[in-house]
Amino acid sequence: MNTLDQPESPVGKTPSVDQHWRELVTVALLGTDRRDPPAPIPVLADVVHDTARSAPSERLLAHVAACTTVRRAGVLPGPRLDPLASPVDDERPPCVPTAIDRWHHLTTSWPVLEDEWMIALLRNGWRLAPELVPAALGRHRRDLIRHSRVRAAAGPLADWLIGHLSDLAANKPNAVVDPEAIVELPELPIPPDLAALLAASGAEVGEVVSAGLELGDFGQSHRGVLVNLIARMQPSGLADAASVLDAVDPRSSGAGLASVLGDLATVRHRMLGELAVN
Amino acid sequence: MIRPGGQVSSQAESVRSRRRQHRATVAKVSRWSIEQVEALVPRAASISAAQPLATPTRWAGLGANDQAAWGACAGSGAEPYQVVVDHVTVSWRCSCPSRQRPCKHVLALLLLWVRDQIPAGVATGAVKAWIVNRSVESASSSERADPEPQPERGLGSAIPTGLDTDPAPESEPPSDDERAQTRDERVERMYAGLVELDRWLDDRIRTGLADPSVARFGTWDDLAARLVDAQAGSLANRIRRLAGLVGANPDWHDDVLAELGILHLLSQAGRRLGSLPEPLADAVATSVGWQVRKADVLGGVPDTDVWVVCGRSDTREHRIEVRRYWLRGVRSGSWALLLSFAAYQQSLDTSLRVGTSIRADLYRYPGPALRALIGDRHTEPIAAVPPTQSVAEACGEIGRMIAVEPWIERVPSTVRARLTRQGSQWLLADDTGSLPILVPDQRNGSDDALAMLLASSAGGLVDLTVEWTPHGVTPLAIHVGGRTLDVGPQANQSFVASA
Repeated sequence: MNTLDQPESPVGKTPSVDQHWRELVTVALLGTDRRDPPAPIPVLADVVHDTARSAPSERLLAHVAACTTVRRAGVLPGPRLDPLASPVDDERPPCVPTAIDRWHHLTTSWPVLEDEWMIALLRNGWRLAPELVPAALGRHRRDLIRHSRVRAAAGPLADWLIGHLSDLAANKPNAVVDPEAIVELPELPIPPDLAALLAASGAEVGEVVSAGLELGDFGQSHRGVLVNLIARMQPSGLADAASVLDAVDPRSSGAGLASVLGDLATVRHRMLGELAVN
Repeated sequence: MIRPGGQVSSQAESVRSRRRQHRATVAKVSRWSIEQVEALVPRAASISAAQPLATPTRWAGLGANDQAAWGACAGSGAEPYQVVVDHVTVSWRCSCPSRQRPCKHVLALLLLWVRDQIPAGVATGAVKAWIVNRSVESASSSERADPEPQPERGLGSAIPTGLDTDPAPESEPPSDDERAQTRDERVERMYAGLVELDRWLDDRIRTGLADPSVARFGTWDDLAARLVDAQAGSLANRIRRLAGLVGANPDWHDDVLAELGILHLLSQAGRRLGSLPEPLADAVATSVGWQVRKADVLGGVPDTDVWVVCGRSDTREHRIEVRRYWLRGVRSGSWALLLSFAAYQQSLDTSLRVGTSIRADLYRYPGPALRALIGDRHTEPIAAVPPTQSVAEACGEIGRMIAVEPWIERVPSTVRARLTRQGSQWLLADDTGSLPILVPDQRNGSDDALAMLLASSAGGLVDLTVEWTPHGVTPLAIHVGGRTLDVGPQANQSFVASA
């Protein structure tokens, strides 16, 4: 921290506050049993004059207290410094605040949707909001494809940031990534009998899943594949699927899971809406 | 030597027997019991405070007769306190400054008298004069037809002697006397703690900071424990933080010495509270550890304004998580600090959101300190950002706040600056100068704050709220594009419970 100081004093003249401070530190290191404190400099003399006849340790403490107060209260800006070179401009608009909030929600509640969120952002011409870049880069350091996807979404800012904060770089920065993989949704495990629903309408997906949950054909053990189904079904049917799932008989044993899947469908529907072509 | 069964022992036994009878008779006639002394005070703790003084070696000029007991007790003042107790009319006088009635010196004198440790004597002129004056006052009170003339014990307390009235029921709220007594006891403990602190500081300075004792945690922790006992909790926390600076960086001697100087300043000021201007005395007392009741603060005049919640920071102090909300008044431009505390699995205050403003009543603590309590909230919070300033202006603002309270460890400010670096040191800079950013603290995720700041600014100017400390500034909030990003140090979520 920069502190108030007097101009450098010539040898033999009154020491500056900082020079006086260095002398105080030296005496304090050795102890006043071995070395007497220096005489106060004029700017502090009035403040500590009542300790002139005190024991050396008390005198030193008084000098230190006065000097510290002057140095802290006299905090001054440090030297002017050259600014950092800015990253190259990115013409794409940053994603909207609701999309930012959605990303935070996804990463804590529905990580299965994160890939699609980032790919939708890329495809629709948005730029990853700067405030998300450090977290997104740090989150995928060990996954080269996802890390590369974040870099593509963030544009020049990502590489600029990594240049300043190497902790945000991928673990294997020199590995080559297929550009196609960056914009390709990773496949999720879905059993063949459910895979047929991937091309079905939202209402149909909702009916099949709701009926299975109400009749007990689907239970908690099916949660993973049902989540995958909703995460990969046709986006156009998400709203319908959500409304059917939300209508499951609340007394049935599958009502809880239906509600969860309905929420997933709703979140995905809104997410894609927020990232629609700008 | 007295041998059992011998003539001498027989005589001695006879003498002892007669003395016992005499004492019993005297006691029956005039001597109080311990219980009667205890009945003078509402709490047993008062007797405990008096016990150490109830030894003849602490007294000079002790004497008693059938009317009164008197003596001079060595106290913390330069002169011994002159104490006299009229045990017939149950009144007393002590020259000590305590507002406690009866003070511990009076109680100690009574304890000595009850234990028959005060020799019989002839009252001095001053004692006689006081007794006579008491009699005159008592007589004139009777002539004024007071239904029950009260003995001199101040502030209109009920007669708690147990001699002629019942003591006040225990369920009653503490009286002014009791509160004054508690306060006086605390002041004495705190004063003793400050004396102890200064003695300890003196030892460190005499032997030097290179002495191996400085590197031992026990050196600091023992002092912190003693300061806790002295109810100087703020100083104890400060000592613990200071212990963490030892060896923390190559220049730790500078940091530790500066803090020792500030502790000396506080210790000296704390022992001179009576001679300081009132606002300064209040600020010193609070910084030393004097606790002000919330009810007293909320009883003050509110500072009503639209308050922008500019920043938040969480820090762990010993075993308590402390949350600071920094607020700035839109109209007044003044800063205020709202604190909340959480022990393990307790909740911190989450009622405020950084980057919003709310019209509310704030009640400030005594003195120029920034700390306040929030009272009524008149509006719902809305998005808001505080005004910003240049680095030089921020330094000026910080310096002015430190000049008012040189011992404060954190000062808020808002600044418009760009992030830059000099070697490994990150700084906030603009055309007027630069300010170093505090080295990131992994626990609190301040490195995330640095990355967020860098990403949000992309090397350009950005508005942010920072918290100054003697070692650098900590970014708390970034105000960008009408949004505020709360990047202040966060409490460990495994330590605190969610609200």
